[in-house]
Amino acid sequence: MAHAETLPAHKSPTAAPLSATFNPYAWIVGSVFAVLALPLVATLGYALATRWGATLVPDGLTLAWFVELWTTPRFVAAFARSLAVAVGALALSLVLVMPVALLAHTRYPWLDRWMNTLILMPFAVPPVVSSVGLLKLYAGGPLPLVGTPWILIPTYFTIVLPFMYRAIANSLRAVDVQSLMDAAQLLGAGPLKAFFLVILPNLRGGVQIAIFLSFSFLVGEFVFANMLVGTRFETLQVYLNNMRGASGHFTSALVITLFAFTLILTWLGNRQAEHTITEATR
Amino acid sequence: MMAATTPATQRAAPSTVPSTIPSSVQTTTPSAPGRQESGNAVSLRGLAKRFGETSVFADIDADIEHGEFITLLGPSGCGKSTLLRAIAGLTSLDAGSIHIGGDDITRLPPQRRGVGMVFQHYALFPNLKVADNVAFGLRMQKVPGDERARRVDEVLRLVEMQDQAHKFPHQLSGGQCQRVALARSLVVEPKVLLMDEPLSALDARIRRHLRDQIREIQKTLGLTTLFVTHDQEEAMLMSDRVFLMHQGRILQKDTAEVLYTRPRDENAAGFMGHYCLLDAVEAAPLLGFRSQAGRVALRPEALYLSVQGRPLGGERPARVGPGVSGRVRRHRLLGNIVRYDIDCDGTSLAVDTLNRSARSLLPAGCEVTIHVDLDEVQELDA
Repeated sequence: MAHAETLPAHKSPTAAPLSATFNPYAWIVGSVFAVLALPLVATLGYALATRWGATLVPDGLTLAWFVELWTTPRFVAAFARSLAVAVGALALSLVLVMPVALLAHTRYPWLDRWMNTLILMPFAVPPVVSSVGLLKLYAGGPLPLVGTPWILIPTYFTIVLPFMYRAIANSLRAVDVQSLMDAAQLLGAGPLKAFFLVILPNLRGGVQIAIFLSFSFLVGEFVFANMLVGTRFETLQVYLNNMRGASGHFTSALVITLFAFTLILTWLGNRQAEHTITEATR
Repeated sequence: MMAATTPATQRAAPSTVPSTIPSSVQTTTPSAPGRQESGNAVSLRGLAKRFGETSVFADIDADIEHGEFITLLGPSGCGKSTLLRAIAGLTSLDAGSIHIGGDDITRLPPQRRGVGMVFQHYALFPNLKVADNVAFGLRMQKVPGDERARRVDEVLRLVEMQDQAHKFPHQLSGGQCQRVALARSLVVEPKVLLMDEPLSALDARIRRHLRDQIREIQKTLGLTTLFVTHDQEEAMLMSDRVFLMHQGRILQKDTAEVLYTRPRDENAAGFMGHYCLLDAVEAAPLLGFRSQAGRVALRPEALYLSVQGRPLGGERPARVGPGVSGRVRRHRLLGNIVRYDIDCDGTSLAVDTLNRSARSLLPAGCEVTIHVDLDEVQELDA
């Protein structure tokens, strides 16, 4: 309401009393937020409830479901598998995408056009379709990965490729790579040293954001994990799927845990973004 | 004479000499000490560069003395920046050799040439604070920490940026950025400083100030400098000598005075000042004789106006041509100068007079007589 009073010039005199009690923007934002948050709040309530049956509010509150979840070895193992696969895929994508983005930016501009088309593939082809292709691809040849958990790493690489490539390419665009490399070399640094001292630190912010976002995306990935490896290598989402017959309170606790984890990663990514903008430290 | 004063002034603090100079010089040039005292600081021989079918520059020969401030002046696209980058080692050459301090550096990578460079858009490292930007070159030379800090502080004082040492480049103005970039190049004590249009991205007031500051620092350090610009005023004010470039060739290498008053050919005259270029027939009535040269170049300030027999402006030179009558088409006010466009029998001439008073401005259509200072007429081969 204080906000409305600070902007009297925008309001006609007759509208002023109305706007003092009714702020349409706040209502729109509030209702959108409520629609989005409601299922989550309900799930959280269910995860924390001892019993939630025919009543409007739960019977009692308990952390027992979370304790049970975190003491289930099968869950912890699935969580660890998800983390391992995500870390592997991100490491692979960094090593492969960074040089490609750098070359596309400095030497071969035509490569950027190809990459921009290529990174649409994961969105254009549904996972159900591409998993069939991937199964065929990795069934034989030099990399017979079908049936092993390793198949998830190159597969997840294709999923995070758009995020990683765009993030690195955008960061490169914000930096005058050629001039910085020239300047560093004239000050006595070899090309490799110049890249690590002068270019890489300036890409760090953008790359970190991409890593955090991709990470939370991969931890929540289900279709590929289920179709390519399934129960032989139970990741978090596959585990959740397999547990759908178990207590609803238990699976709610699982979903909330997963959500909290993703939230923290996203928050870290955003904080890194602000950090990069303000350049508070080096 | 510049060479003799160079070592003493360039290394202002004697204590740095034994520990730092040998390390930097030895890594860049394995030459005997004292070698750079003799000969030219820079010699370029037959440099040529092509991009595919188009020649960027060719037949570049030049010698630069120790401590000299040379400007490469030319219109955009004349190859001057590419030439500078080739000297820095950032662009490969198709032919020719470059010697710095007597050593052939043609095949050396940029980091081993002992040249510093200042770029048009500063090229400061955005992830490093001012002090760390400046210290970068010293770190690469593995100069120890305390000495590094002292030299960084020294050079930041020189460019009057010592108070900004802890800021990041994005917190600085353009002029400040360029001074940091200058400090960053100076701190490693390069044998030659290359500057690629360092003032072009700055606004006029900062540009004038930094221009004078760069020249002053360069003189103090006795630093051999090669400065690229398309701005004639900058070139004339800063340089010991100007190399005028046109379409990939050096047309003329002279001091600003000679370049301005005695352009060698039509292209040089076209770029310097505001020469009127006339052919011999058009110029004959003004000169009083038919020139043997193909073209005649006249500077607006070497022409004198009279109105109804009364001379306008200052004293007349000793040798003037016969008067030619003309009509004022219009005038342009350049501040302290008024430039008249005068129509003489279909030939258009520009004449400069000092803007002494608004009352003495000649209106359009006014009948005037034009005399030319015969000592300032340039006869050019067509």
